Amino acid sequence: MTPSIALSGVAKRFGRRHVLDGVDLAVQPGTSLVIIGGSGTGKSVLLKSILGLIPIDAGSIRVDGQEVAGLRGAALAAHRTRIGMLFQGGALFDSLSVWRNISFALGGSAANRRAVAIDNLARVGLGAEVADLKPSELSGGMLKRVALARAIAARPPILFFDEPTTGLDPINAAKINNLIRTLVKDLKITALTITHDMTSVRVIADKVAMLHAGRIIWQGPLAALDGCDNAYVRQFVTGSAEGPISGLVAS
Amino acid sequence: MIGVLAAIGAPVLAGLAAIGRLARFAAAAVAALLRPPWYPGQLAQQMLIIGWLSLPVVGLTAIFTGSALAQQIFIGGSRFNAAATVPAVTVIGVVRELGPVLGGLMVAGRVASAMAAELGTMRVTEQIDALVTLRTDPFRWLVAPRLLAAVLVMPALVLVSNALGVMGGWLLATQRLGFNSAQYLATTARYLQIDDVVSSLVKAAVFGFFIALMGCYHGYHSGGGAAGVGRATTNAVVSSFILILLSNLIITVIVFGS
Repeated sequence: MTPSIALSGVAKRFGRRHVLDGVDLAVQPGTSLVIIGGSGTGKSVLLKSILGLIPIDAGSIRVDGQEVAGLRGAALAAHRTRIGMLFQGGALFDSLSVWRNISFALGGSAANRRAVAIDNLARVGLGAEVADLKPSELSGGMLKRVALARAIAARPPILFFDEPTTGLDPINAAKINNLIRTLVKDLKITALTITHDMTSVRVIADKVAMLHAGRIIWQGPLAALDGCDNAYVRQFVTGSAEGPISGLVAS
Repeated sequence: MIGVLAAIGAPVLAGLAAIGRLARFAAAAVAALLRPPWYPGQLAQQMLIIGWLSLPVVGLTAIFTGSALAQQIFIGGSRFNAAATVPAVTVIGVVRELGPVLGGLMVAGRVASAMAAELGTMRVTEQIDALVTLRTDPFRWLVAPRLLAAVLVMPALVLVSNALGVMGGWLLATQRLGFNSAQYLATTARYLQIDDVVSSLVKAAVFGFFIALMGCYHGYHSGGGAAGVGRATTNAVVSSFILILLSNLIITVIVFGS
């Protein structure tokens, strides 16, 4: 089966710092893969490279079999229609109401787009009364839900989640994790999530990969994570200060 | 010797690179203006923000400056029996220079900073990345409407500024300096030439272009969190001030130099 996302030897350098140094990874259709790794290890760069927001220096990125590296103009825009993205801070447009944010990329009349937006709000557990609010009037949890509604509004076959629970209290984080799991299952979406929240990993993931020093150093099914004998993975999963992962990395 | 050359060459090269980046940004923004999709709602909103909401500050600046100019011309002119030149010099000074330049500087202070802050915040909160992932070109959605709106509304703002500047001079001259109202207005009309008005409007459009360009450029390339947005805002205001004053000099020399 052709993987939804296939990365081979992906490299990206900022100045003298190799952020990605030969990343190989494959995500099968309908699978939820979570990439774990410390702050500043290039997880966000990896997502943005697949989206074509950051050009890579070397390697290959294939989405549904199509090479993404080097795409430009209309071809790149067409590639992006296959992917929805939940940004870390939500990235809702401050000047637009909730329903206009959700329906931003949709066509049709305003009434139709508003109806679709309200339908998607319901999917993420919010009522129609939220539709006319501005993002600044939402709480952190609501903001993440609205951003999630925007990400799924065009029903993309692939969804990216960038640190989906960052900044949320444990209850709202749990709700977002469950919501992501439900949406991925219900909409039969291929999901790629980056996080360092192990609670998220256990709820969202079918498979887990760990990014460290610019490479995928371990990958396997969620069930294999706790029994993994990789010292880096073990340290990360247990959150221990002692182990091979030492310093802080500049973002 | 090589050290000296490097010390001179490095900032020169950096300056040239910055000019190149700005030129590419400007070219991309103008190209975005020419190709669909266009966003008339965004354009109308920006025209309102740049034009309508700048009217009070531009108007007040014009009235106060026109009045002060009339007073100064009267005092200076009295030294060599030329106090009667107040209406003529005021209208020429206001329409050719003070109206467009002070109007441009006031709008730059208000609008370029706001644009840089807004786009800078959008950059650091990933809203610009979100636009791209939602298949919307940030140049068409954000930059082009601001650029076109500024170029369209600045001439209208400067027309109002000129009128209020002349009115400020007239008010002071008739209420304080003893000028006859009808004579003052007749002299003003006699000395105001079409070239003065045209050059004023051309300057306004050019200033509008630079104000929006600097606001968008610095905001779009903002980084480094809140401090980065702050730097972008400062740079947008300072660079638009410099470009307004420089382009004013160039246009003045071209139009009136001969």
